[in-house]
Amino acid sequence: MSDSSCYILDNGAYTAKVGFSTLEPKIVPNCIMKAKSERRRPFIGSQIDECRDASGLFYILPFQKGFLINWDTQKTVWDYMFSKECCPVNFNEVPLIITEPLFNFSSIQEAMTEIFFEEYECQTLLRTNATDLAEYKHRKGNNNECTLVVDSGYSFTYIVPYIKGKKHKEGIIRIDIGGKVLTNHLKEIISYRQLNVLDETYVINQAKEDSCFVSQDFMKDMEIAKGRGEKNTIVRDYVLPDYTSLRRGYLRAPLQPQEELEQQTLRLNNERFTIPELLFHPSDVGIPQMGIPEAIMHSINSCPEDHMESLLANIVLYGGNTLFPGFRDRVYSDVRSFALDHFDVNVTLADSPLTYAWEGGKEIFRDSDFYSYCITREEYEEEGKALAFERFDI
Amino acid sequence: MSARESGRVKDGGKTRVLDDAARKRRARKAVEALEQDNFHEDPHADLVMSKKIPKFADSNEKPTRKKKARSADYYKMRFRKSFAQLVEEDANFRPEPPNYLSAQAPPSKFPERHFCAICGFLSKYTCIPCGARYCSVRCLGTHLDTRCLKWTA
Repeated sequence: MSDSSCYILDNGAYTAKVGFSTLEPKIVPNCIMKAKSERRRPFIGSQIDECRDASGLFYILPFQKGFLINWDTQKTVWDYMFSKECCPVNFNEVPLIITEPLFNFSSIQEAMTEIFFEEYECQTLLRTNATDLAEYKHRKGNNNECTLVVDSGYSFTYIVPYIKGKKHKEGIIRIDIGGKVLTNHLKEIISYRQLNVLDETYVINQAKEDSCFVSQDFMKDMEIAKGRGEKNTIVRDYVLPDYTSLRRGYLRAPLQPQEELEQQTLRLNNERFTIPELLFHPSDVGIPQMGIPEAIMHSINSCPEDHMESLLANIVLYGGNTLFPGFRDRVYSDVRSFALDHFDVNVTLADSPLTYAWEGGKEIFRDSDFYSYCITREEYEEEGKALAFERFDI
Repeated sequence: MSARESGRVKDGGKTRVLDDAARKRRARKAVEALEQDNFHEDPHADLVMSKKIPKFADSNEKPTRKKKARSADYYKMRFRKSFAQLVEEDANFRPEPPNYLSAQAPPSKFPERHFCAICGFLSKYTCIPCGARYCSVRCLGTHLDTRCLKWTA
């Protein structure tokens, strides 16, 4: 079996994408959650689907600021993932590809290598960055020389230029805005303006996913949102789930005064586009950093000049935040306006933005040199952890 | 004609105005709050877990794995390092850029935009005591009633 399939784990800070290369990936929340309504048990990973009332969920996350810090939590979630309840695997038989963040700290890397070889008895291991896998996938599909990968995830957004398949480390930029900041900010302003939802991270995260979009003309949308009645085409009501008749909230036209509805609603107006706008202007919440399009230009300008053209023509976006409607178009129009006129600009949104890196893992497993990128258990036992530092280009 | 003096000028000396350092401290706290995982207490914190209670997933068979799996707590103790420790360690291990710290996006070259802290629309004015932005007298009223200097650190 070891030659025909491999186990791929894109270990994200909020969701892990996991599965055999021959099957479809599963998206598993990479956390343990506790519910108010269910006092007997914590919910690990996808077990949350069995929870009847997801209000006031308490999160225990293995990742902090995008790095694996809480190993006990991670171990529990991994045990769940590798068990027959989720996606059973025997690492004796199949190679493992696992992702880690860019500029991961060396003691985290050591710990990860140790756990997989010694605890999970892995035979063959490839530790890599999710952006590497995404770039590989894009390059295999397009046969291009350079790629600029934008990974906008839960903890942060990374912009990574690749020249001939190698990352140009000087050009890597991290913006400290991810889905978590967006959800927390939305929670904060709703709690101040309407209804205290500070405890409802899970519900408001869904509200964010269901209602937010990226504005194409921010000032114009601000004007529209100011309008009253018919003129305001942005304002909507978000119906909150009550977990008796409604399990997930939805967006609807604003309630009329005479209308009656069983559930509570939130009125969302400028919140719908000022939240994703933080990705483009982090300074709006007082984080003194560039937005995505500006950072893309900054990154490309730090690369050798002869590759600029190719980088601009191959910008790939993936990660949860890229699912906001209008995200790609906004990135394209902003980068287009910054870039010199005679360069072509191409911005591609990955087909499945959540599992794009996972799919890249599938591609790299088919590479004829795949096993030369990996470390085997014998090598690890022979040469120890130092080998991992040499072999993995992270 | 001293009675015709404006109220604002008369009370001018009394209002407390936050200095720059305090405003920065508040701003930093607000940014830090965006990183929080939870804003409430663990709902199971007061619960005493009994090991005897069967869980739904439990089967009656004993686990038959040869090697005893190490408990999650073992790894907690084994690799215990805080985020701040790791950053410091990294600064020693990889002192030359590019590294984690150098990869952070630099400040934007575009001017900051200002939004009303109350309604979220563009703001023109700044609250004198605390420095929050507001857009209209109505929003200022709400701000003074609810937020301004209410939780002064």
